Amino acid sequence: MRFSDVELGDDLPETHPDISMERVKLFVKSAYMDFPRFTDHEFAKAEGLPGAIVPGVMSQGFLAAMIHQWAPGAKIHKLDTVFRTTMVVDTSATCRGAVTDLNEESHLVEVDLTMLNHEGVTSVIGTATVELAD
Amino acid sequence: MILDLHTHSVRSDDGRAKVDNYCQWIRKKELPLDGFVLTEHRQYDDTSDYRDLEDHYGLLILKASEVETDYGHVLVFGVNEDLTNAFDFARVDNHIGDVLSAARRCGAVAAPCHPGRPNVGLFAHYERKGRIEGVDLVEIYNGGSRPGEDEISEAEAQRFGYRGFGGSDSHIVSRIGYAATEFDEPVANIDDLVSALRGGRCHARTFR
Repeated sequence: MRFSDVELGDDLPETHPDISMERVKLFVKSAYMDFPRFTDHEFAKAEGLPGAIVPGVMSQGFLAAMIHQWAPGAKIHKLDTVFRTTMVVDTSATCRGAVTDLNEESHLVEVDLTMLNHEGVTSVIGTATVELAD
Repeated sequence: MILDLHTHSVRSDDGRAKVDNYCQWIRKKELPLDGFVLTEHRQYDDTSDYRDLEDHYGLLILKASEVETDYGHVLVFGVNEDLTNAFDFARVDNHIGDVLSAARRCGAVAAPCHPGRPNVGLFAHYERKGRIEGVDLVEIYNGGSRPGEDEISEAEAQRFGYRGFGGSDSHIVSRIGYAATEFDEPVANIDDLVSALRGGRCHARTFR
């Protein structure tokens, strides 16, 4: 994906990341954040959560991965998210993005980001500033 | 004339949309909007000037506020200096009665938003604490509603005899216009908007 290929309003190809317990366990071990609220449904419920939750940084990683799948080699200058509700482990997720601004001089692209949970509720919103090749 | 009555820009703590990007998005996507109202959280933005953007894009851009009360969030249209001095917009625990009466006294309109939202919406508070007087207008279509919430808003508004309006509650550019309000007459400024909302010369639209 090059800057000249992109238009305002373009949708990024939707992704459906794997948020199974198996994947989340691999992630939290790698990230040194192996806490039971991420890996134990019963523990999380006892804390008042609906179940074990997907770590926020893992959700951010999925959104960044969506950008890179759309534009391999792109540089993400900034990825800014707001977490609105939890993503529960062992459910399903959908990542979406849309191009909302293009800077012709810097070749930076602004992208809206959303992550929806299995009920179609928006769990994460955000924006990214992405540099695309000429 | 269709206006999105509930939007947030980067001036809200959780807003990530630039106002000029809202404008170019509306035009690029050919959304059926003639303008929008910025309803920043817990503040009234009396400094930003969007007249250049209005002229460039041919859109009406008005400013209002979303304040927080003991009965949930409330949009206030027609904010003026008297009203900003009447209660503390930054507080999260304003008494809704104070907000409603202050708005009335100062010539503004105050209307609860996303009233069908569980736990925090107006109607959830009604269930726990009882009905309050002074509400006559609520946001029945909210672009950020979860499945079923707008249906609660609409049904309960009908039950209590409240008029309805719509707004996207967009915090990012691509969500603007998910819900809006259609006006029977042209709206050129905030006074026209307040008059139309008071007079019931509008109805809610959803575009989700």
